[in-house]
Amino acid sequence: MIRTAILATALLAASTSFAQSTIKIAILGPMAFVQGEHHWNGAQMARDEINKAGGINVDGKKMRVELVRADTNEIQSVPDATNAVERVITRDKADVLVGGFRSEAVLAMQEVAMDYKKLFLGVGAAHSKLGLNVEQSYDRYKYWFRVSPTKDVDLARTLFAVMNSIGEQIRKDLKTDTPKVAILAEKAVWTEGLIAAAQKNLPAMKMQVVGLWQPSAIATDVTAELSAIDRSGAQIVFTILSGPVGISVGRQMGERNMKAVAWGINVEGQKEEFWQAAAGKAQFVSTLDTYAEVEYTPKTMTFVRAYKARFGKAPTYTAATYDAIMILKDAIEKQGTLNADKIVAHIEKSEHVGTGAVATFDKRHDLVWAVGKTSGIAVQWQDGKKVPFWPPQVKGMHPFKMPAQ
Amino acid sequence: MLQDILVTGLVNGGVYALLAIGFSLIFGVARIVNIAHTAFYMLAAYCFYALLVKAQFGFVTAALISVGGVTAVSVLCYRLVIEPVREHEAAVLIATIALALVFQELMLLSFGGHYLGIPSTLEGGVRVLGVSIPYQRMLILAVAAAMLVVVWFVLYRTRMGLAIRATANDLEVANLMGINVHRVAMVTVAISVSLAAVAGVVVAPVFVVDPFMWLAPLVTMLAIVVLGGLGSMKGSLIGAIAIGYIEAITVFALPAGAYLKGAVALAIMVAVLLVRPEGLFGVAFEEER
Amino acid sequence: MYLVRRAWAELKNEVLVLPSRTAVLVWVLALLALPWVYGDAYVLRILTMTCLFAIFAASWDLLAGYTGQVNFGHALYFGAGAYASALLSLRLGITPWATIWAGAAVAAFFGFASGYLVLRLRGSYLSLATLAFPLIALGILFAFPDFSGGELGISGLRRLAMTPLANYYIAALSMLVVVFGLWALGDSKFGIVLHAIRDDEVAARASGINTPRYKLVVFSIAGAAAGFSGALFAHYLRVAGPSTLEVALSFQVVIWSIFGGLATGYGPVAAVFLLYPLTEWLGSFRNFGELRLLAFALIVLVVLLFMPRGLAPWVRDKIEAQCPRCKQRNGAWRRACRLCGAPLKPQVSRSQGLVGHQ
Repeated sequence: MIRTAILATALLAASTSFAQSTIKIAILGPMAFVQGEHHWNGAQMARDEINKAGGINVDGKKMRVELVRADTNEIQSVPDATNAVERVITRDKADVLVGGFRSEAVLAMQEVAMDYKKLFLGVGAAHSKLGLNVEQSYDRYKYWFRVSPTKDVDLARTLFAVMNSIGEQIRKDLKTDTPKVAILAEKAVWTEGLIAAAQKNLPAMKMQVVGLWQPSAIATDVTAELSAIDRSGAQIVFTILSGPVGISVGRQMGERNMKAVAWGINVEGQKEEFWQAAAGKAQFVSTLDTYAEVEYTPKTMTFVRAYKARFGKAPTYTAATYDAIMILKDAIEKQGTLNADKIVAHIEKSEHVGTGAVATFDKRHDLVWAVGKTSGIAVQWQDGKKVPFWPPQVKGMHPFKMPAQ
Repeated sequence: MLQDILVTGLVNGGVYALLAIGFSLIFGVARIVNIAHTAFYMLAAYCFYALLVKAQFGFVTAALISVGGVTAVSVLCYRLVIEPVREHEAAVLIATIALALVFQELMLLSFGGHYLGIPSTLEGGVRVLGVSIPYQRMLILAVAAAMLVVVWFVLYRTRMGLAIRATANDLEVANLMGINVHRVAMVTVAISVSLAAVAGVVVAPVFVVDPFMWLAPLVTMLAIVVLGGLGSMKGSLIGAIAIGYIEAITVFALPAGAYLKGAVALAIMVAVLLVRPEGLFGVAFEEER
Repeated sequence: MYLVRRAWAELKNEVLVLPSRTAVLVWVLALLALPWVYGDAYVLRILTMTCLFAIFAASWDLLAGYTGQVNFGHALYFGAGAYASALLSLRLGITPWATIWAGAAVAAFFGFASGYLVLRLRGSYLSLATLAFPLIALGILFAFPDFSGGELGISGLRRLAMTPLANYYIAALSMLVVVFGLWALGDSKFGIVLHAIRDDEVAARASGINTPRYKLVVFSIAGAAAGFSGALFAHYLRVAGPSTLEVALSFQVVIWSIFGGLATGYGPVAAVFLLYPLTEWLGSFRNFGELRLLAFALIVLVVLLFMPRGLAPWVRDKIEAQCPRCKQRNGAWRRACRLCGAPLKPQVSRSQGLVGHQ
């Protein structure tokens, strides 16, 4: 209510030539960490691109984009994150919030943003509860959108599609009818749906599940788990990992010369630094990813190249702050207003071709899943390079490789 | 499966032992609960990383500089921060916590929140009883054993060791006997931290280096020394092997509960304390009440 | 009229004579009046957090400072209160006004249980064993994700009040009541027993004090207060997550309390009121916000070098002096004791001063 009143006055002022001349966008992220770094980098790219073209066209008036860098410190402290949100809204007078990473913190941040009816474009937190809020009490949470990544449930569809093609390859190469799969998932709520789906779908796909191992997300040592997996004779290790345990898995699999190949989600494996972090041992580790130098969407290739040229490293999925700001720009220009309600209504209806996905939103304000649009791509580490191998219809894909038997 | 447990437990126990001995030593002698102990381990790991990967030094040079440098830093920290407040137990406690935080934040600032990997000192591995063990793990076991022997030698076969043990036994009497207890404390700090630094150099290559890597081993290490008895070398060793086996058994017996291995180890520690409040090999300090 | 004059006399003779009491009075009035002078939502949020953590720190002080049970796992009670209140209000639909008390009760039970487990432990053994409790609790929480929400915690909780102002007053008033309650407890006869247990448990038992019973009561009370703050925290943020059980939180409270001064009651509270807004303020700088924790740790280290007993006792010694005869406190500027008239700074020669210590 207050928000709309302020906006109304702002708009009134705009018509009388006395107006705010910039749109303030707060970038929220753990700035000392990789995730926050990419949040900020992606946002900078968007800002510079928009401002170079003169700004965002709001009803005939060009408004420049101003970024507010806010360190949420969310990995270390949840209250710090909520304080940062309150600060950018009430002190810095940010118009829109973009970012967030740790689900527990983002839930708390979402509350503060919704109190002020601020548009909050989430980039980074995958938990479906965030979107569920929108569905359950729309009027309060409608200002939340998740621009990246797709929600956890939809990840499963991509995972099994890729699993199928890997399975085919193993059947051919190793001449077995039912490849053996070991599920290695960190103990977390977000992995539960995926584990259940795997245990149901893999037998239907003529694959045998030999066991389920659940280390902690922050485990540094998985030797016991891996020797048990070795013993089980698995050919595929289906990983569902977001924490640093992903590095230990990659490295220790290499050190043990395991015959099995890792496929699944390995968030650490998406990062440029992964190969170094695993001390060059993570040969053939594969994971779902967002960005690569391929024509995934018409914009992907240009964006990834420009990003690499500017920051010296490839973007990870939190760099989708770029897409978030571009979605915002489209909505503002089409509606000709900064009114949050109108922007929400516009984003709900529109389709946006971004760099990491072709985004349309469902009633939970989550991305609608479709192969080649929001499914992401599959990549494999081969000799120090992250090589994309799926979806096959996209140009620039490489073959998937197996460790020597 | 049994052979897996036997081998994995022993190898992981070696890693823990290396960390626990130094901590146990400094508590036994100076009665300092050094929360920053694993922070020095982290510091050594970062130092080793910087020298080996960034500056392209050899393994031996990098290791020697790391251990020496970190030990020097620890002595400096002891003189500047701990010694002035030695009489105030509570102040020592938070001084070590604050030191650990300072190191954590410094590493976060200079290296960022990235996960870093240190190449193994020894590449390759061997299969024992059908269980694959990388050479690096064997090296850790060997170094842990060597360190135990060195510490034992220093404590029981040198004059300094005698002084250290005397101080550990009764600080005031040792002081009256003409032992420079300040210097003894400082030497103990140096020995203890150099053990942590050695651990950082040989253990870090099997783990991931990041600014928060001190917290997880800190908890495990505390569990070990409490289980074995504070200040007891023998206790720390046996505690370390015990925790290594408890974790291995948890993972093998309950694959879907592998994340519980830390919690199970801690629960067993608490259980042991209920039966023996001074740990397995600890001395009940009557005079301290 | 009589009452007013009586109150004024009390105020003048009991409060205003001592700088520390005056400072506390000013602080209380400032806390209550602040929203009317400067009702900025951001400032109110920071102060609300500060108040909640002040309760938490004061409860640790009762346990560790007064009784000497240096607990390294105090986050257990904070988390227990947060989770218990969150679960009750979300699953059973009970109003948060009732469940915060239930949260405190559950935390008190946890305090009792953990106190019972470590009853025979002393010193460092106790500290290190208690460090394990919240971590074991975390393992259990992750084992039952349907119940606890796993890594995400329990979200979508109801608030106690909707406006920042009301939330602030809830936090501030609870803080004042709980902190003064804990302080009064520490200052009572009960508190003297606690001091005795800390200083020499064997002697206390020899004097006929049932020390295990006292320790269990203190564990329960400290647990209840910490759980109460945890429950308020959960309903304020609308999330009760695993971060309420982290080692970092346990360490944070240790730093706050020791920095402020142990066994004082007011010390830890003063430290939280100083350090929490300070770190937040440091974090608000865009270019070096990431330095906040480093600055925090360095400040703690440096201050400790000058005030090893903590901030509050150091300040208090500067502005107040103890009467050598009747042990009452006086303003540092006084020459003679305000109660018994004895000279506060006895004229002693240098040689006498070196020998005698009273």
